[in-house]
Amino acid sequence: MQPAILVKNLAKRYRLGGKLPPIWPMFRRDEDKPSENYHWAVNDVNFEVNPGEALGIIGPNGAGKTTILKLLSKVTRPTSGQIHVNGRFSALIELGAGFHPDLTGRENVYLNGIILGMKRTEIEQRFDQIVEFAGIGRYLDTPVKRYSSGMYARLGFSIAAHVDPDILLVDEVLAVGDYAFQVKCHARMDELRSRGTALILVSHNMDAVRRVCDRGLVMYRGEAIFQGSSAESVVAYSDAIREAARDAQNAVPTEGGLAQRVMTFDVEIKNVFLMNENGERISVVPSGSRVFVVLEICSAKDVHSPIIALAIRTPDGQRVYASTTKWLEQETPDFVAGECWRVEYALDLPLLNGSYDLSVNIGSSDFKHYYDRIENALSFEIVNSVNAKGIVDLDAEVNFRKMEPVQ
Amino acid sequence: MTITDRAYAKAAPRVNIWTARELLWAWTTRTIRARYKQSILGGLWAIIQPAARAVILTIIFTRFIQIDTGNTPYIVFSYVAMVPWMFFSSALTDMVESLVHNMNLVTKIFFPREILPVAALLARFLDFAIAAVLLVVLMLLYRLPVLTVSLVYLPIVFLLQFALTLGLGLAGAAINVFYRDISHLFTFAIQILFYATPIIYPVSRVPESYQALYFLNPMAAIIEAYRSILLYQTPPDITLYASIPVVLLILILGYWIFKRLEAFFADVI
Repeated sequence: MQPAILVKNLAKRYRLGGKLPPIWPMFRRDEDKPSENYHWAVNDVNFEVNPGEALGIIGPNGAGKTTILKLLSKVTRPTSGQIHVNGRFSALIELGAGFHPDLTGRENVYLNGIILGMKRTEIEQRFDQIVEFAGIGRYLDTPVKRYSSGMYARLGFSIAAHVDPDILLVDEVLAVGDYAFQVKCHARMDELRSRGTALILVSHNMDAVRRVCDRGLVMYRGEAIFQGSSAESVVAYSDAIREAARDAQNAVPTEGGLAQRVMTFDVEIKNVFLMNENGERISVVPSGSRVFVVLEICSAKDVHSPIIALAIRTPDGQRVYASTTKWLEQETPDFVAGECWRVEYALDLPLLNGSYDLSVNIGSSDFKHYYDRIENALSFEIVNSVNAKGIVDLDAEVNFRKMEPVQ
Repeated sequence: MTITDRAYAKAAPRVNIWTARELLWAWTTRTIRARYKQSILGGLWAIIQPAARAVILTIIFTRFIQIDTGNTPYIVFSYVAMVPWMFFSSALTDMVESLVHNMNLVTKIFFPREILPVAALLARFLDFAIAAVLLVVLMLLYRLPVLTVSLVYLPIVFLLQFALTLGLGLAGAAINVFYRDISHLFTFAIQILFYATPIIYPVSRVPESYQALYFLNPMAAIIEAYRSILLYQTPPDITLYASIPVVLLILILGYWIFKRLEAFFADVI
């Protein structure tokens, strides 16, 4: 099968600084001076998307996600690399781009539809569907400047989603609109995919990526640092974020500024990872399995019986589990300066599908201060759980027994 | 379709202004509609502007300073030049701003970039047509012949003006993306050119020794040609044909500049 989109060694460079852009090199098409101050927004990115497949591009702000969409949609040209596009596409980089505030909803449907590459006759055929999907029927002949931002976005999405593209690029749009509309958007994207549309979704919303995409591409500072299943990608993304946060940790206090001061770094957590019973490092955990949280700790000073704690939270901060060696009444050894220890914390994880964050810390035996703590040290993904909502699998069993009528 | 650095320019023309004509039309009508939305007089403004100018000029140049325009009433004499001039100047101003004004679109969506300046030009054509209606009314009012044989030259003159505006506008719009000085420069140049074009005075008042230089301005020949055709029922002067190569050169150069810079619009705008 020919991929809908094939991207090879894609790179895009932007000039930095506020100097006037030089116009002459554009005419001569020669290389810019190497002394120029450049920023690689996208650097050596490779991927492909097959028809009917959905790729989620995730990454922090400024990672180059939107630049990739702009390159794919030909808005801007690559500095180097290749893009093969097979089919007609519709890009949703900004909802309602080209809407004129003074024109009515009806006029803007035609205008925006044509901008997105539809023919007038196609728009006429789908007009009712577009309006129905956006749910703006009554306001069709009102200038869009009077629309609420939700209506504006809904109309924008609705038009783009009805272009009937072979490839649909979607950037951060599901953040807008209420829950009901988001559900509708997901349904529409599923529908398009089942008809063979290749979908590329750029988002900060990990839930959206997990729900919609088969595969994920994690961008970080212009580079594709991970490609894999969407669940693994979500984890890789959290790891990248944590890594960056850790780099900045000493400079920027995270919790009210004070907590940071409390860390003495007499003992330092060098490494935290998750291991299964076969001793393999994992980030995707089948529900109900036993895992080991492994901490590699080195102490810089002599420390008396430190307390080691861990906590698991959902991404929105709900605590799933927290415990310390003290609460477990677990003896911990005295650490001698220069020694390193490997601590294995075994846990059963009868959790429901979703993403979870793990925080760890190590503190003094009297709970007075932390030696080291890492908030959201890692994220893991629970898969293959039973069908239920919430956090924990309560191992439900349902029985029916006929009984005498109750008086 | 493959986009690489080199192939980009070759890949882009797959969508051109012809294949995107529906968009061109939609954008033109959008521009026109938007211009007169929430306005009471709407399209009448297309007449009011050149008419008011012609009236003021008539007062100045018949009451304050005498300018001899032969048998032609001064108001018709100036209005016949004012209509194409307003088309030229307003279209050019709009074209130069067209890309920068629609920055949001240029940086977000791919479509043939010529659409924006060309639509700006076409949208001003409506104003031109509306203003021309008043010209016919004026000519009838002053009992000047309207339907004459010399009208066959009108399309040539109009096409020449259209090509000139297009060439200048494309170049201006493209360079304005890089340097906003261009829009100031154009505003300024249009003001200067107004006086270097026979709009408020007859070309006969230009000294012989200045004439060669004077007709380097293609608009001078074009305005003069409108006047000969519409008011004097004579074929255009030789100066019109002399301006054809100049106009063609401007058109080709303007289009070339636009095409060359097009790929960088989204990055530098």
